[in-house]
Amino acid sequence: MKTAVHLEIVVAFLFALAGPVRSAVPPPVSADPLGRVATLPPTASPHWVWVNDFVFPHMPDGQAILVDGDSGRFLGMLSTGFGFSRLVLAKDGKIVFSPETYFSRGTRGTRTDVVTMYDPARLAPIGEIVIPPKRASSMPMMGDSELTDDGRFLLIYNFTPAQSITVVDAKAHQLVGEIETSGCALVYPTGPRSFFSICADGSLLNVRLDDAGKATAQDRTAKMFDVAHDPVTEKGVRVGSTWHFVSYSGVMYPVNITPAGLALGPRWSLLTADDKAQQWRPGGLQQLAVHSGLNRLYSIMHRGGPETHKDPGKEVWVYDLATHARLQRMTLQNDSGAIQVTHDSKPLLFSAFIGSTTLDVYDATSGAWLRSVQNVGTTPTILVTP
Amino acid sequence: MKWLDSLTEGSTRAVARRTSRRGFLGSLGGFLVGTSGLPLLPVARGAQPTPDQGGTPAKPGAKPDNSQDPTSCEYWRHCAIDGYLCGCCGGSQSSCPPGTEQSAVTWVGTCHNPADGRDYVVSYNDCCGKSTCGRCLCNRNERDTPIYVPFESNDYNWCSGSSKANIPYHCSTARIVAVAK
Repeated sequence: MKTAVHLEIVVAFLFALAGPVRSAVPPPVSADPLGRVATLPPTASPHWVWVNDFVFPHMPDGQAILVDGDSGRFLGMLSTGFGFSRLVLAKDGKIVFSPETYFSRGTRGTRTDVVTMYDPARLAPIGEIVIPPKRASSMPMMGDSELTDDGRFLLIYNFTPAQSITVVDAKAHQLVGEIETSGCALVYPTGPRSFFSICADGSLLNVRLDDAGKATAQDRTAKMFDVAHDPVTEKGVRVGSTWHFVSYSGVMYPVNITPAGLALGPRWSLLTADDKAQQWRPGGLQQLAVHSGLNRLYSIMHRGGPETHKDPGKEVWVYDLATHARLQRMTLQNDSGAIQVTHDSKPLLFSAFIGSTTLDVYDATSGAWLRSVQNVGTTPTILVTP
Repeated sequence: MKWLDSLTEGSTRAVARRTSRRGFLGSLGGFLVGTSGLPLLPVARGAQPTPDQGGTPAKPGAKPDNSQDPTSCEYWRHCAIDGYLCGCCGGSQSSCPPGTEQSAVTWVGTCHNPADGRDYVVSYNDCCGKSTCGRCLCNRNERDTPIYVPFESNDYNWCSGSSKANIPYHCSTARIVAVAK
């Protein structure tokens, strides 16, 4: 009996507990308004990255995908047309420029090339500038399009296969014209009104512009690179007044921007004798990155023979650009064909590979792996950071 | 422009004897390697297309001789090809698939035919005007130069400006031009 009484008390207690719980059921979820669209903060985080994708299996459908390196969150995307190369971010961060190609019937009809301007907060087009339908169709590279140092002019490489550079006024949002660069390719800015292109014989074409964006002078340097035996790749990176290029075999060629013109600095090698004996060499589509504040160079490395200069790597080697000392060997989670380092004081290193849809994020100072973001694009190529 | 003339088929024959590149998809050599898990060797980039891609299946056991199989990356004419094989896309090693246009400007290579012991000049004309075929990707990076040396670079889309269909790249052929002398 005593047990039965205790049981009644317990049951009553449980009902007493359950009662208030039943009455605390939250109100129904309210209806969502129609038409809500997310926006981004007006100022980009230095830890965001644009993953540019030329979507090789479906080239009319180029994409640029924005990812937050701190959270790994997929923030949004742009649709960027046929044979897409990469976005160019305005220096003040207020416009995203995108050289694009379209056909009036998808893959046929009239070809129209434009620079589409996007609002970086809404990721929506706010205007376009029609440019000559000559934009180069090639494996994407940073040198396909660049802004002059002051952000005034956007320079776009053309290949028809005649070579030239289209000049766009990035402030007035209008086409300026075209500069012939016969025998020379790509764009490497050297100041507010100047850039160079690399020529087939290993010399550089130095071009100067006036305030209207017209070419006022062109001159060719002496041969700087050994095109026949060990050419430098097109994947140069810049710190201050020096462009750094690397050869297939890992020799660094610093090109200094001086008042007297372009001057080749002392060459140095990424590789020791032991490294060479083990067949280490640089490779990849965007194989070099730099951090200006730390004055460091990052290079994707792999082991392979002489014709593996575009192969991905599982390591990134870090160098002090002042002493040329190798500071670190980063071991990567996955194959890497493209790296980019953020510009801030706590930099991240992003890594992607055209044969994978995983974006990896590392601490660029310690080399520690932070996170991987899955399903980013289709064939990711070039990484661009604010 | 003289340098442009040098890109045309006839005048590139001499160039073809000293090099063996043409193409657009060089960086996808790594793509092939990455997706197939093959070792990072140039020869590995001649990956055998799988049967579901339209390629001839590899025989088990000993390494097969695919040098006479036009749907194989190891086909003798493909010594310098770089792209999707048109033979897997409705065309053949020498003809474009229906409804595409063959590019006029191209890169050429010199390939050795083990069946007759001769070297041939092979022209790798791209077929243009449709989206990418997506079948039988074949790529080797032999003697590839950066794109500032256009006529020896595998990173350009050679449909560029050289086809009535303009730049949409579909696949690549491997036409015999002549016996190399």
